[in-house]
Amino acid sequence: MINACVVSNGIEGIENMFRSNQRVSYTLLPIGPQFNPDFSPFDLLIVPNGTDNIAMFNIKHLVAEFLNAGKMMFCFDGWFTDWVPGNTWIMDNAHKTIDIRYRIVQDRYKLFEGIDLHQFIFSNGISGWWACGHIQAAPGADIILEDTWQQPIMVLDEVSTNGTMLLTASGPMADMLFGTNDDGQDSWQEVGRFYQKLISWAETKIHQPKTIDI
Amino acid sequence: MSKHKIGLIFNGVWSQYTFAKAEKYKDIVELVYVYDVTDAAVATYDALIVPFQSNQSALAERKQVLFNFLAAGKKIFIEGDCTHNWLDAIWEDRPVNNYWWVKDPNNPPIAHTNFEHPVYTGLKPRHACWHTHGAYTKIPEGAEVIQTTADGEVITWQTTQYGGLLMATTLDPIVEHGIQQITHLDNYTDKLIAFLCGVQPTGAFNFNRADFGITLN
Repeated sequence: MINACVVSNGIEGIENMFRSNQRVSYTLLPIGPQFNPDFSPFDLLIVPNGTDNIAMFNIKHLVAEFLNAGKMMFCFDGWFTDWVPGNTWIMDNAHKTIDIRYRIVQDRYKLFEGIDLHQFIFSNGISGWWACGHIQAAPGADIILEDTWQQPIMVLDEVSTNGTMLLTASGPMADMLFGTNDDGQDSWQEVGRFYQKLISWAETKIHQPKTIDI
Repeated sequence: MSKHKIGLIFNGVWSQYTFAKAEKYKDIVELVYVYDVTDAAVATYDALIVPFQSNQSALAERKQVLFNFLAAGKKIFIEGDCTHNWLDAIWEDRPVNNYWWVKDPNNPPIAHTNFEHPVYTGLKPRHACWHTHGAYTKIPEGAEVIQTTADGEVITWQTTQYGGLLMATTLDPIVEHGIQQITHLDNYTDKLIAFLCGVQPTGAFNFNRADFGITLN
C-alpha cells in the first residue's frame, strides 16, 4: 500500500480522480490562503494537472524537504513558478499540435513497456492533445519522452534531490481519468494503464530496503 | 491603480496564467489571486472573469464581493463549471465531446446560438462552440438564454438583475485559449474581451519565456 497525498485547489471532480483503493491510500490536502501541509506521513506527493502553482511556490521548501527525505513526487502540471527542484516547465505554442509526436528516449525502468505510445499522441485521430509546452530538464535527469522537436515531455529526476520526481509537461494523469469524456473512455485508457504502471514502479521504489552510507 | 480593465480571478492554474500572460491580453487582463479577492482589490476593474478550474468553495466564500461588483454596474463573465450554488443557478456535469468536429462536424454540441449577442455577432458556428463543460439546469428567473444544446439544455446565459451584467457559459474560452490547442479561439475571446471592457485585443497570442520558472516575492 502506498500512502499518497494529493494537493487540491478545489477544481471540480478532483476527488473522483484519486479514490483510495487496494494499492494506494489517497489523502487530499486542500489548498487555502495559508497552505502549510504536513507531508511527513506520506510516501508519495501527487501534484495533479490544474494545481495552484502560487501555493506550491510558497511551500517549495516543504517539497524540497519531502524529496530530500528520499520520497517520491509525481507532478502532472504546468508549473510556471519555480518550485520543482532543478526542472522548469515552459509553455510553448511555436509549433502546431497537428505536428506533435512523442518518442521514448530513455526508459530505464521500462515504464512504457507494453504501453501503446500512439494513444498518448492521438485521441480520435487528433494529435497533440495530452501535454502542453515542454520541460527544461535538470542535467542528469532521464528524459523519458520527447516531442517532435526533441523537447522533453516526461522526465524522471533522481539526481536533483535525494528523492524521485516523475514530471510531465502538464500531461494529465490520475487513478481515474475517465469520468468526463464521452468517447467510450478510449483516449484515456492508455494513460490510465500507464498510471497503474507508475504505481507498480512506485511500490517497488518505496518499499525497497534503504541503504545507508556509513 | 491598475491600468488593466479586467481582473481574472486566479486559482493558480497554469492555463489561466498563460492566458493572462499572452502578449495580446497582458495589458488588458490582470490576475487576482482568489484568496486576495476583496471589494478593494477589484474596485478598479471594469469587468471580472471567473475562469474554468476555479476554486468554487473559495468563490462561494467571497461571492458577496462579486455581487457587490455587479451592483456597481459592472460586468462578470463566468466560464466552465459553477458548483457550490453561489449563483442563483444550478450547474451539472455532462460528458465532454471534444472531437465532434472530426467525427460529426455537422452536429456540434451547441445547436442554437443567439448570434445577435455582441460576443457572438459575426462568429461562425464552429467559432461559437468547441466543447462544453456541463450545462445549466436552472438559471435566474428572467435571465436571457444565449446558447443551448439540441436537447434544450442551457449552455450560455446572461442577466442584468444584479445591477451590472452577469454572463455565464459552460464553454471555456479563457482556459482553453491558455492551453493553445484550439487555434481559432481568438475569434471568440477577442470579442468577449471587447464586450467586457471596450478594448479590442490586437496581435498574436505569444508567450514571453521570462514568464515561466518565475519566483514570487
